[in-house]
This record gives sequence, structure tokens and C-alpha cells, in this order.
Amino acid sequence: MAFINYSKREIQLKIVYYGCALCGKTTNLVKLHSGINSTQKGELVSLATDADRTLFFDFLSLNTQTLPGFDTRFQLYTVPGQPVYNTTRQLVLKGVDGIVFVVDSHWDKMEENVESFANLQENLIENHLSMAQIPYVLQYNKRDIENPAPLHYLEFTFNNRATRALTFEASAYNGEGVLETLNGVARLLLAKYSKSAGGKAGGAGKPAA
Amino acid sequence: MTGIGMLSVEDQMAIESHLKDFLVKSESQWAALVDRGGNLFAENGDIGQVDLMIMCALAAGSFAATKELAKRLGESEFTALYHEGAHMSILMTSLHFDCLLITVFTDKTNIGLVRFYAQQTAATLNESLKSASESAANAEPLQVDSELSGETNIIS
Repeated sequence: MAFINYSKREIQLKIVYYGCALCGKTTNLVKLHSGINSTQKGELVSLATDADRTLFFDFLSLNTQTLPGFDTRFQLYTVPGQPVYNTTRQLVLKGVDGIVFVVDSHWDKMEENVESFANLQENLIENHLSMAQIPYVLQYNKRDIENPAPLHYLEFTFNNRATRALTFEASAYNGEGVLETLNGVARLLLAKYSKSAGGKAGGAGKPAA
Repeated sequence: MTGIGMLSVEDQMAIESHLKDFLVKSESQWAALVDRGGNLFAENGDIGQVDLMIMCALAAGSFAATKELAKRLGESEFTALYHEGAHMSILMTSLHFDCLLITVFTDKTNIGLVRFYAQQTAATLNESLKSASESAANAEPLQVDSELSGETNIIS
């Protein structure tokens, strides 16, 4: 839930990167942390195992001044993707304002992608939320691999709804598409506070296929 | 949904005043009001060069992680969580409206004193949160003039 502090003129928004194990959620935050220059950024914190698998969450705080008179603080979290950590995913989703669902473009990861997407919807319900309430974007990651799943297939599988979500092609490992994805979801979140956007500042995502 | 959606200037001042009073009585170093989602609502005291956003995210996560443990013992959740260090310790106390009181203190005071005043302060903060929640429910939604469009790069 967004928090507005009128004393400090600050809006705090929580964005969660969700997806199956090893799809690139942590890589998104690592590349954002190393690549962002002008935005005031905090330290990247990772609660990971010795093998660099996310155990609890990764956290990165970014501060911008997009809305006149207010600082906007985006709090970016990832969830652990491994199926066994479902309770942890439910905890990290608490108070979420926006979601980036990261899809792994490997063919052999499709089943895990679909399970993770279904798991996201279940865990939102556990938090008394739904996909209809929470702004979200889809990131089709690892587009640089050989023979990735075609975009029309990913669109049919993950974005076949009456209201289609913004989608972004990415190769997070190479830093491609990570900033565009974050800006896409950030625009969706800030649109509700902007008179000119009228709640519809979706953006320059690529409705693929 | 966690916490409350907004804090007015008056609510903020009242809460910070309670935190300040608590720090003096308990001889603690730093205290903060955060929600279970990790949002920092108000803080008082000095904790040095620590990134407060990270501190709040980790504290909220740490508290949330004990909920399953509490369930195994037949509790809905623990009402307080205490981590003791050699020189610095932290006490997290559950509040209403999905919020937490986080207290950092040194070995110059003791857990008994801090816990005693934390419980008193929790009651006071709960009253303040109830008032803030009512104000938030009746407030007009925030709308500002901005040039935000579909091409705006918010983060660069």
C-alpha cells in the first residue's frame, strides 16, 4: 500500500519482482543498481544463500522527484523463486503496490513460468489482493539466448486477457530492458497521482506479437 | 493491505513526539514506526550512518518471518521480537494497523526498561494510528500537476 508522508512530502511505493527460480529477478536489481546514475539510490541488499540463491529477498531503494512537490521513493524487492519458499513470497508481497513478473524465455522453463504466474495470483489472494487491483508489467527476459520462446507464444500464455499488461523484452544479464521495465511499472504507479496522466500513463512498453 | 495510507503533518508531529518521549524514558538510541510492508512512517533518535530504508525493510521482514514460527506454537503472531547483540540490540513491538515499533538500544540501558516503556508507547501510538487512519479515510486522494506521460523516464 502506498504511503504518503505530507510532513516530509514523500510518497513510498513498493514494487516486487516476481517469477520462477533463476529467471533473472535479482539480476534486474543488480543491473539497476550498477546502471542508474542520476537517481538517488540506496545500497543493494541481498539475503541470499552461499550459492547466491535468494533466500528471503533482495532490496533496493530509489528516490526520484518526478511529481512536483513530492519525493517518490521506490522500494524494489525480489522474491525467492524456488517453490519451497512460498511463505516467504507471501510475506514479501505484503503491502505491494506494483509487480514486475519476469518470464524466462527458455522453452524448458515454460512450465515453471506458468506455475509461478499462478502462484503469484494465489499469493495475492492470500494478501487480500488480486491482479486486477495491482498494476503489473511483464518482462520477457533472456531474449538473447539461442532459440527463445517466440513472443506471440509468451503473449498468448501470459497476456491473454481483456486488459493486456505492458510487456518488455529484456536481457537482464546484459542490462538490456531492465530500466525500461522499471520505468513502465513506475509510470503505472505514479499515474494515479498525476492530473495530466489521468491514471493512464502506461507507457512505451512493447505489446509483443 | 498494510499500515495506513498517509500521515498528515499533525499526525507526524504527534507520533514523533511520542517516539522522542519514549527514547528519553527508555534511554534508547533510535525508534521508528514502520508498517509490515517496510514503509518508514516516522523515526527519532540517532543511529549513525545506517540506511534507514534498508533498516526498515529488514526489520519488517525479520518480524514477518517469525509469524509461521508463532503459528506452530498456536499463536497468531508474536507481539514482540528481540535481537540481542554485544553492544547494540533491537526490539520490535507489534502495533495495530499492521505497524511495528522498532527500537534500537545500546548496552547503556537494558531490555527490561526498554520493553516496559515500549509497551506503554505502543498503546499511545495505537491511539495516534487510529486517529491517522480516520484522517486518511476522509482525505481527498492526492493529485498533483505534472507532465507525466507514457514516455516519461521516471528513473534514469
